[in-house]
Amino acid sequence: MEFGNLRLAEKENIVIKNGCIINPQTLDKFEADILISGGKIKEIKKNLVPGPGDAFKEINAEGLYVCPGFTDMHVHLREPGNDGEEDINSGVKSALRGGITSIACMPNTDPVLDSQHLINYIKLKSKELNFNIYPVAAITKDLSGEKLSEFGLLKSSGAVAFSDDGRCVQNARLMYEAMKYATQFNALFILHEEDYSFSGSGLVNEGYYSAMLGLEGISCFSEDLMVARDIMLAKAAGARIHITHVSSAKTVDMIAKAKNDGVNITCDTTCEHLFFNDSCLTGYDTNFKIKPPIRSEADRMAIIKGLRQGTIDAIASDHAPHLLSEKNVSFKEAAFGSIGLETLFKASFSKLFFEEKFSIEKIISLISYNPAKILNIEGGAIETGRIANISIIDTSCENIYKSDDIISRSKNSSFLGQNLKGEIKYTIANGKVMFINN
Amino acid sequence: MDEKKDILSLDKFSVKEINDLLEKTDSFAEILKRDVKKVPALRGKTIINLFFEPSTRTKVSFEIAAKRLSADLINFSESSSSLKKGESEIDTLKTINAMKVDLIIIRHSDSGYINYFADALPVPVINAGDGKHEHPTQALLDLYTIYKSFPGLTGLKIGIVGDILNSRVARSDIKLFKKMGMDVTVIAPSMLIPENFSFFDVKIAAGIDEVISEVDVLYMLRMQFERQDKKYYPSISEYNKFLSLDLPRFNMMKTGSIIMHPGPVNTGLEISSEVMEMEESGKGKIKINTQVTNGVAVRMAVLYYALS
Repeated sequence: MEFGNLRLAEKENIVIKNGCIINPQTLDKFEADILISGGKIKEIKKNLVPGPGDAFKEINAEGLYVCPGFTDMHVHLREPGNDGEEDINSGVKSALRGGITSIACMPNTDPVLDSQHLINYIKLKSKELNFNIYPVAAITKDLSGEKLSEFGLLKSSGAVAFSDDGRCVQNARLMYEAMKYATQFNALFILHEEDYSFSGSGLVNEGYYSAMLGLEGISCFSEDLMVARDIMLAKAAGARIHITHVSSAKTVDMIAKAKNDGVNITCDTTCEHLFFNDSCLTGYDTNFKIKPPIRSEADRMAIIKGLRQGTIDAIASDHAPHLLSEKNVSFKEAAFGSIGLETLFKASFSKLFFEEKFSIEKIISLISYNPAKILNIEGGAIETGRIANISIIDTSCENIYKSDDIISRSKNSSFLGQNLKGEIKYTIANGKVMFINN
Repeated sequence: MDEKKDILSLDKFSVKEINDLLEKTDSFAEILKRDVKKVPALRGKTIINLFFEPSTRTKVSFEIAAKRLSADLINFSESSSSLKKGESEIDTLKTINAMKVDLIIIRHSDSGYINYFADALPVPVINAGDGKHEHPTQALLDLYTIYKSFPGLTGLKIGIVGDILNSRVARSDIKLFKKMGMDVTVIAPSMLIPENFSFFDVKIAAGIDEVISEVDVLYMLRMQFERQDKKYYPSISEYNKFLSLDLPRFNMMKTGSIIMHPGPVNTGLEISSEVMEMEESGKGKIKINTQVTNGVAVRMAVLYYALS
């Protein structure tokens, strides 16, 4: 495995030969070569021959899929404040390992991303590392749920969206005012939906397994009630909302109806929620302790259906790094969260392609074109003139996922021990080969 | 090498294995009636009694059981250990294990943590109660008490009253009683029953009067109103009206039926003081002290099982 030097900005001349290119917008695929120069896609055609005199790095993509670089719209980079778990540099390497070329990072750092200078800091790091990092700013100052942050100023500094992720604004009036104000700046809200009166001290999905295992439950009402509230408020405010990490069947159903009803709403789910059900908890493995919790098989089936029918627009990782010392404790004491940048494609592909018979184009759209479109950012398409963000994948590999495979500084993956199919072979970010899996 | 014999729950025990344990308990109960209440069955074995959560009866019961079998038992509790110096619980366990012990008995306030310890340790682990999850030796001593009170277990009607949601005793008991063919009803208010409780395949009643005249065994759980998660239950008066065992209800119970409680009893809450006094008058219905006595013999059988 090799990584490119993040701090060297010079562009490369690359030719990708013999690959099968995926267009996730039209859900097509076609065979052609790609010529990259000066950071951009210069030419796409069959039997492409680079001009004489230029030194071209050639990638033979025979038998591989050439995809738009993936976009992960829900990532915790832990910088500033918790760089023992992850920092921007290690998070970017983890993303590249996962074929991801754009990430939206959540504001629940220490300090919280609720001021212009912190948004500027993330943008500066993004530039320094030649990698697309889109900071999400807090809806409320310090995620307190009490006072709105400066939507106008933060957006002008480069905040791609607003979220109190990890927390949820409980005060309905404040949320309504926030939504109305956000529309004045055409700002997107990414909403972590949790009614604290129902989540409380809960640890896992409330149901058969919570009762059997003696672990306090988090009812689906925790998510469903807040989604119902926010659909109602967004409709009235004319706001643009995105529900993140959808976990429950009822929420999928409400979002489908809201879309039909003309509400400006999109949503994502995570690899954990589409892959596992709460029977995974019987071994008390704390890597399965996430929020919202992994729910019942009926909920998981509803999520698969939501993805199939387009109710769920995207898959995100909710990459949440934690130290071993935060996970090697009792289930009650363990931190919530699982890392996921490196398994975003592999976990989605393993479940959706092989078991649920999704097309490869559809799966790629859920992790590239769709999230980029929701965030209104560059990416998600391979077209002449575009900045070259490309991941090249091999769908014929499979491996048992191990801790040693992990590039992230933290090792708390829910997928350890799972047989994962597919592999990232190359990641090209901003016109440069940044990851090679050889 | 055989797999080590952890006892974390009784789920994996067959009906025959449970019956074997009951019979083994009978033979140990016999020893406890002798003048010299000690046998050399576990001589030379070292057992650690590790309680991360306060306990009196379970801890002492295990200690007596181990000593009756001539094992060396060392008590360890959170307050007197290096846990206060910041050593993690798993590191403490590994340190203890490095001293070449043969078996570790553990209680912890967090559900499932003992499963994690058992995976990390090479010696057998006995669960002496973990959070809201399991309390297998309590379930066995409860079963043994019932077994000694009736000619057969199959079809016995048992009512379990009180806080099902937060009780590890209720979880372990319900599963074991169902396994042994008993007819279980839980009597509890809705907020103290897990959501979608139907998967436990038991009947549910809202008040004790619905079952009082039918049950063979009335099992009263301990109710702790001071706990935060009781905030949804209206009041002690309401509890007394529908869920406490008072004298009129006691008198409605059928002949031969028994009353149990895992202790310690909140007299006046789960069971009225008048009923508690009946125990002294020797009516024989109230088996709370018998449970405690049986606990020692049951734990002898369990220790013997795990170490042989």
